Amino acid sequence: MTITLWHFLALAAALFGIGLVGFLTRRNLITMFLCAEMMLQGVAINFVAFARYHANLQGQVFVLFILAVAACEAGVALALFLNLYRRRRSLDTSDWQELREAGVPAATDDDPLERVTAEPDPTLTPAGARPAPTAEEAARA
Amino acid sequence: MTLFALSKTQEAGGHIALAAVLAVVGFFLLLPRPRGRFVAGGVAAVIASAAVFGAWVYTAFGNPLPDPIGSALFWFFSAGALVFGTALVVQRNPARGAIAFAFVVLSTCGLFLLLAAPFLMAATIIIYAGAIIVTFLFVLMLSQADGPSDENDRSREPLYGSFAGFAFVGLVLFTLYQTSQANVPAEPGQVKPDSRLPMTVLSAEERKVLADVVAKLDAPEANLDGDLGTATERAKKVTYFEEIKYAVAGVVGHSRLSTRGTLQSRLEKAPAREGTDGKLESPAVLFRDDPQAREALDRAKRVRDANFDSSLDDLSGPKPDAAKLKAQARKLRDEVALLYGMGELPADNVRNLGLVLYSEHLLAIELAGTLLLVAVIGAIAVAHRKGVVK
Repeated sequence: MTITLWHFLALAAALFGIGLVGFLTRRNLITMFLCAEMMLQGVAINFVAFARYHANLQGQVFVLFILAVAACEAGVALALFLNLYRRRRSLDTSDWQELREAGVPAATDDDPLERVTAEPDPTLTPAGARPAPTAEEAARA
Repeated sequence: MTLFALSKTQEAGGHIALAAVLAVVGFFLLLPRPRGRFVAGGVAAVIASAAVFGAWVYTAFGNPLPDPIGSALFWFFSAGALVFGTALVVQRNPARGAIAFAFVVLSTCGLFLLLAAPFLMAATIIIYAGAIIVTFLFVLMLSQADGPSDENDRSREPLYGSFAGFAFVGLVLFTLYQTSQANVPAEPGQVKPDSRLPMTVLSAEERKVLADVVAKLDAPEANLDGDLGTATERAKKVTYFEEIKYAVAGVVGHSRLSTRGTLQSRLEKAPAREGTDGKLESPAVLFRDDPQAREALDRAKRVRDANFDSSLDDLSGPKPDAAKLKAQARKLRDEVALLYGMGELPADNVRNLGLVLYSEHLLAIELAGTLLLVAVIGAIAVAHRKGVVK
């Protein structure tokens, strides 16, 4: 196992970096949450690789605790997303940019979104004679 | 030509920087934005970056596992993790991102299995299956799928963001490379005294020899049940067992007292000396003073004793005791197998993990349980709707 440790560490670093890029650049709260989980996966690979390398189980125990903390984080984060969504009807983090530090200019979206012109659902013009209500229907009305 | 003569470190740094720059370009082109997203170019840049990265890992650290199947699985799972991780980051649709994340988790679990952690693999799959289903539920509830939206079709500073992320990865990889170079032993088999990471005790050749011996001794019955009567049969068996004993002695030492096997000569600076009364006069002085090395020397001593106690190559008597020989062969086999398994994780993963968890980390377990409870209560409190608007 002497040489393989470095492979797993390199892979874990790459996975962590991709998650970091996603967390920094994406604006959807759910995607950001998944990217953070991916960074945790990279860290878990590190721990398990070191556990294998030192031939003891301490690293694996640590990953179990990471799993527990990730579960807590998921629960609280999704509850927060629900609350944020109720207030602004959107998952966009930039909707909350009034929380930024004083003196930092607001981020603006200059480029307009492409509007997709969705075709309206087809409607049928009513045709034919309206059927006369039966005796029971008239009684119910 | 001196202009292009680079040191190994500079070359590694160049490879890492190239991979990072290509990754930045690829992610910049691929990250969602209202217009100007160049998917083909981005995919090409990301693939080129992955190729440079993989080639650098291969040349810098060698082939990961000694067996071809393990190596193939390692490359397969790591490629899966990186590809689906990239897909998660650059995907506009969060539902598809959740599917990509599921595949990242599966690939990671494959790597856990390669790293001898089957329990963690199962636990991760179970927990993240639940997490991903809940995420799906949230995407369906909260994300309206009609047309482009600010959160899915815009990125925050795609260039600076990916630059920051990949610069970080590049620095980590470069540090990794320097650490790995600092830990390369000065001469093969020896350990540098200031080396921070312990190396495995057994060398690859020793492991091969020992595995061979175990395989040969695995069937002592078949070898001892045959016709022990004729002289030619006995002579054949004598050579068979002599080879085995000689191979074992090559690793653990050729005589009971002077213990100059390959293992000892690698681990001991000065060997242990025994006085005339058979007790230790001076203990061995070790190159490495860690528990693993000491345990290996203890094991080697037991193997040596078993090797010299056995009379497997002594079949000259007219009626050899087959049962006794079998018992000796089995004992030698068990000791050799234990020495062979030095530096490996216990095969009984779940039971040993449970033992470590509840004996050494009991307080941490309790804290984790409390944390989960608090998180559940907190989630309910946060999500609770106060003063419902009708």
